[in-house]
Amino acid sequence: MAEQRVLLVSPELCTGCRLCELACSFQHFREFAPSRSRITVVRKEEEGLDIPVVCLQCEDAPCVAACPTGALWKEDESGLVAYDFDRCIGCKVCITACPFGGIGWDPKSGSVIKCDWCGGDPQCARICPTGAIKWVRAEEADATKRDRVARRFEEVSRLITAARGGV
Amino acid sequence: MSELSRPYGGYAGRILRVDLSSGRVSTQDLPRDWARLFIGGSGLAARILWEEVGPGTDPLGPDNRLIVATGPVTGTAWHTSGRSVMVSKSPLTGIWAESHFGGHFGPELKYAGFDALVVSGRSPRPVYLWVHDGTAEIRDASDMWGMDTYETTAAVRDDVGYPAAKVLSIGPAGENLVKYAAVITNSHDAAGRTGMGAVMGSKKLKAVAVRGFGSVRVADPDRFYELALEARDRVLGSDQAMELRRYGTAMLVEVKQAIGELPTYNHRSGVFEGFETIGSHHIRKNYWVATKACFACSLACKKKNLVRGGEFRGLFSGGPEYEGLYAFGSNCGVDYFPAVLKMNWLCNRYGIDVISAGVSMSFLMELRERGIIGEDLLGGVDLRWGNHEAMIEALELIARREGVGDLLAEGVREMARRIGGEAERYAMHVKGLEISGQDGRTHRSAGLTHAVAARGADHMRGLVTVDQLAYRDVAAERFGEDKADRVVDGYSEDYKALAVKMHEDAYAVRDSLIVCWYSVGWPPLFWVDDFSRVLSAVTGEESWSDVGEVWLAGERIVNLKRAFNVREGITRRDDTLPERFTREPMPEGPGRGQVVDLERMLDEYYELRGWDLETGFPTRERLEELGLSDVAEELAGAGKLARGGGGS
Repeated sequence: MAEQRVLLVSPELCTGCRLCELACSFQHFREFAPSRSRITVVRKEEEGLDIPVVCLQCEDAPCVAACPTGALWKEDESGLVAYDFDRCIGCKVCITACPFGGIGWDPKSGSVIKCDWCGGDPQCARICPTGAIKWVRAEEADATKRDRVARRFEEVSRLITAARGGV
Repeated sequence: MSELSRPYGGYAGRILRVDLSSGRVSTQDLPRDWARLFIGGSGLAARILWEEVGPGTDPLGPDNRLIVATGPVTGTAWHTSGRSVMVSKSPLTGIWAESHFGGHFGPELKYAGFDALVVSGRSPRPVYLWVHDGTAEIRDASDMWGMDTYETTAAVRDDVGYPAAKVLSIGPAGENLVKYAAVITNSHDAAGRTGMGAVMGSKKLKAVAVRGFGSVRVADPDRFYELALEARDRVLGSDQAMELRRYGTAMLVEVKQAIGELPTYNHRSGVFEGFETIGSHHIRKNYWVATKACFACSLACKKKNLVRGGEFRGLFSGGPEYEGLYAFGSNCGVDYFPAVLKMNWLCNRYGIDVISAGVSMSFLMELRERGIIGEDLLGGVDLRWGNHEAMIEALELIARREGVGDLLAEGVREMARRIGGEAERYAMHVKGLEISGQDGRTHRSAGLTHAVAARGADHMRGLVTVDQLAYRDVAAERFGEDKADRVVDGYSEDYKALAVKMHEDAYAVRDSLIVCWYSVGWPPLFWVDDFSRVLSAVTGEESWSDVGEVWLAGERIVNLKRAFNVREGITRRDDTLPERFTREPMPEGPGRGQVVDLERMLDEYYELRGWDLETGFPTRERLEELGLSDVAEELAGAGKLARGGGGS
């Protein structure tokens, strides 16, 4: 079985620069248009939060279940929820069904837009300057998060050592 | 909008025009030769202001223009493409005004279909402008008049029904025509300097909201995208850039303390005994919560800070930048960070420029200490070094123009005129703009920059960092190995005219693309050869691949701004510094004993610029070489064109 990967999103690292949106729209439409991006950073200004929202490629995907024409389906090999423009009738029921806002509508092309992992090399992860979006092996996604938590303890440990007058 | 209306790649191709007197909204195609000659942003706005705001125009009258401009790079994936500029004639200085800001507004304006917005006239009642999808509406803002910028932003978003709309707004300071009122976007991004908020207030324009669903297309997408990725990688590969990401511009507090250039006690000194507790390490350790970026920026210098205890417990705000830390901190003798954060936050909410406000207060503190003003003038506000309570009180009064706030709201040049006597000696300004956080005595090129910059004492248009921060390798690349040692000596006048002229030209291009000061000025990661590659890939105009053409465009833009000022009456006499910098030796610190020999640098600077040594007027020959013959004609008609340089 081919290795599965996931887009690992860490909102606490996101600066809200929107380079992911620019890379995504460029990859798919060869223009810079955040409104046509498959990934969107939602900003909560007062709270100081920026949260990248993108299709999570659910195992049991509501959009796939809702689609009346089979234009969306789950690929066993890669784990991608794939989309076929030719089978889509533009009913947008997938947008309604998605609990995460991971699917959008692009009036310019008259089609559903959702993350397709850029065919296996997601440009949002390539361009993200802080590691808030990472393209990692599925089985290492949780380890990646754990590693970051662990690194905080390293820092705490250094501070404690320093406070004790150690080296 | 048709592809054909775009003069080159990168541009939206249209300028939005709004006349608030008549309520008329119209659009204009972006002239192709304006794009080629002036690029966009600051350069494009200079052309518009030159043509439309004649000499003697009242900055707060209906004939003044308020221009918001973007450039061909704005809204693309190139590093820091989120910057925009506001341009007008300044109510604070009476001359050329430009104030750049970050955030997300500029790209959104491009996506809505416009390279620039030009507002004229004056509305009879408070209004805001709603720009979207290639058009705009003037809407009633009577209910919003009196609100601060946070409240206004929320009210406007609610009114247009788009929570993601990008909003520029003014607070009470702009409404009350505080001469250095700022325009705020994104909660804490400010077009701070030169009183753009007062211009909006005079037009009864409370806010501009924009939402755009369009796109920016570039001429050579593959080449351009490669350049964008390369730029991103260059930033991430720079240790200094990553240090700036960690600490923000607050880093400069420690850096400048170390080199004796941290303005303290109304620019009297360059070292501050309390620098540590307003410095970046202290802030990072005790207050930092999150790091934010403007649009398309890989560096991310913006900080969100939270006060967890004490007098200002619970205060959560973006900033302050270095300039806020110096203006409300060292320059007023305040070493308590939460108080500085509080003042910065108030300025964002009320729409006030932190530099001008801080320097106006430090001015009164010094006058009081010297006995030049009496207690009566202060109206009970106990302004003295380090008294942050009184400063907070004063900020409230400035925003409302009440009591001593009404005087403070004028800025130091006018305050000194009203106070009279010896006061002018301690008024830290050039051409009416309060001095920013540099000191020519320990950073000679900064002295020249303050003296000659088009908007007055400006640190953004020509500040040389290769000397200040001793980038000797970069100096050798830019000036040659033989000059590098002299260039990087911050205490020497040698080659500083050359350095300032070169940086002004380069930055004029930067400000027209528009990209950010950080990672161009500091750390010096990008330069004019990068701009040349980016411009040709974005626009498809082949001549931009000739780096000489790009330099020439920069020089053209600098000269056009100079022409605007000369037409308003500026001469060499105005290219000056407060005598504190030229006669009062630096009293302490690493630069003890240093003063600025300005006249020598000015002579060299005019020589290099091809301007007249005596008057500071441009010459016909140089203006014609730069493709500004019509500008030369008009100046000649007004008797403000110099002979010389072989010209007629």
